Amino acid sequence: MVALVIALALFFDFTNGFHDTANAMATPIATGAIKPRTAVALAAVLNLVGAFLSTEVAKTVSGGIIREGSGGVQITPEIIFAGLMGAVLWNMVTWLKGLPSSSSHALFGGLIGAAVVGAGFSSVNFESLLQKVILPAVFAPVIAGLAAYVCTRLAYALTARHDPETGSKLTQKRGGFRTGQIFTSSLVALAHGTNDAQKTMGIITLVLIAAGSQAPGSGPQLWVITACALAIAIGTYAGGWRIIRTMGSGLTEVKPAQGFAAETSTASAILASSHLGFALSTTQVASGSVIGSGMGRRGTTVRWNMVGKIALGWLFTLPAAGIVGALTALLVKTGAVGVLIAAVAGSGAVLFMFFYSRKSSVGHQNAVEVEEAGQAVRFAKKKAMARARAKAKEQAKEQAKADNGAAANTPKENQR
Amino acid sequence: MKWLELLTVAGTTLISAALVVTLYSLGVRFTAIAADAQQPSPGIKRSVAYLCFSLCGVAVLFGLYLIIPYFTK
Repeated sequence: MVALVIALALFFDFTNGFHDTANAMATPIATGAIKPRTAVALAAVLNLVGAFLSTEVAKTVSGGIIREGSGGVQITPEIIFAGLMGAVLWNMVTWLKGLPSSSSHALFGGLIGAAVVGAGFSSVNFESLLQKVILPAVFAPVIAGLAAYVCTRLAYALTARHDPETGSKLTQKRGGFRTGQIFTSSLVALAHGTNDAQKTMGIITLVLIAAGSQAPGSGPQLWVITACALAIAIGTYAGGWRIIRTMGSGLTEVKPAQGFAAETSTASAILASSHLGFALSTTQVASGSVIGSGMGRRGTTVRWNMVGKIALGWLFTLPAAGIVGALTALLVKTGAVGVLIAAVAGSGAVLFMFFYSRKSSVGHQNAVEVEEAGQAVRFAKKKAMARARAKAKEQAKEQAKADNGAAANTPKENQR
Repeated sequence: MKWLELLTVAGTTLISAALVVTLYSLGVRFTAIAADAQQPSPGIKRSVAYLCFSLCGVAVLFGLYLIIPYFTK
């Protein structure tokens, strides 16, 4: 049973990774700041590093949403197994549909379902549920969306340049935001690694403690840390291309300045929430940012029916994962045969969804159609850059001469 | 309910994101100005742009400081 739970926990970690690649990397891929393959590789490395950075284990699996221990439900490997099953299946379904949804909320849902079967509704702490899952789900996109809206407006207002005499647009160099995107999205990926790999480490460690093979109160063992870090990194590298497509081009069209604003809002919201005591889900923050930035840029529209689909997905996260968790818990209760049936049915469902997804494959090559795919940011050598600059200047001068020096500046095409 | 925390998070998010975006946008704007063909002092404009970008770099470093638990504990 313990081995089964650990395997499932690692698979959950894997789905968590590929579900959340989109949060960090969808917008830079969409604007062409980083090439798709490079982006997921970067995110994977940062997740790996992040996982090793933070290895503290939470005292409870559910963070107080389920009354654990005395007066509630005893957290056994069986309950964790059932909870993980609900979370994994829900993650697979939402991935198939290309919906970004919070992996931790799915895990909470699965655990709640399992706990209700194990000890009735009294085992669920509804106040904590409201405060830790439902309210953040409402406010995370609102906060991030508002910040992204304001930032997008700011970015465009500050970089808009018009010739005071002719009123024609001057060169704006908004492509420069692409470089910034690399840094902000990397921050998001690193933050994700430190947060989410730790959850799985906590689960595995708690299972090991419950099984008596590790002393209570001790931290995760090295092999647990390594396995979790690798699982999340491989998941991230696999890249949830369907979700990247939704976040990068399904919600709204993303341009560099807008993408930078969205990424900055995501990063600030995540960092603020994790340090000021009101936890927000990374996925929900990132989705909110993309929507907000889409509203902020003139000349683009937010596809509200896609927003509606995502919102519906979030609404169903808890109940759907909960039902699967509950069913699994019921099966597991019947004994070893039940566990076997649950494991086989679970892996069967996962395999089915995987092969079903093959029908309409979405990979790095077709996840997001980038207009200027050749414009991925390269850090050119200084000399080469100086040479290019000198050349550009010469050309500009010649052009100015050709224009008889009448026009004060050469108006270039606007980069909005 | 932790309404106060919620408000703090919202405020901090808004202010810090706006600050970084403002700095970076100014940097982009000064880069664009410095690249104009007939610009009297491109060097100064470019240095201002780099100053803005490096302030953003400081913000990123602060983000790293917050993310890595080794520093905050």
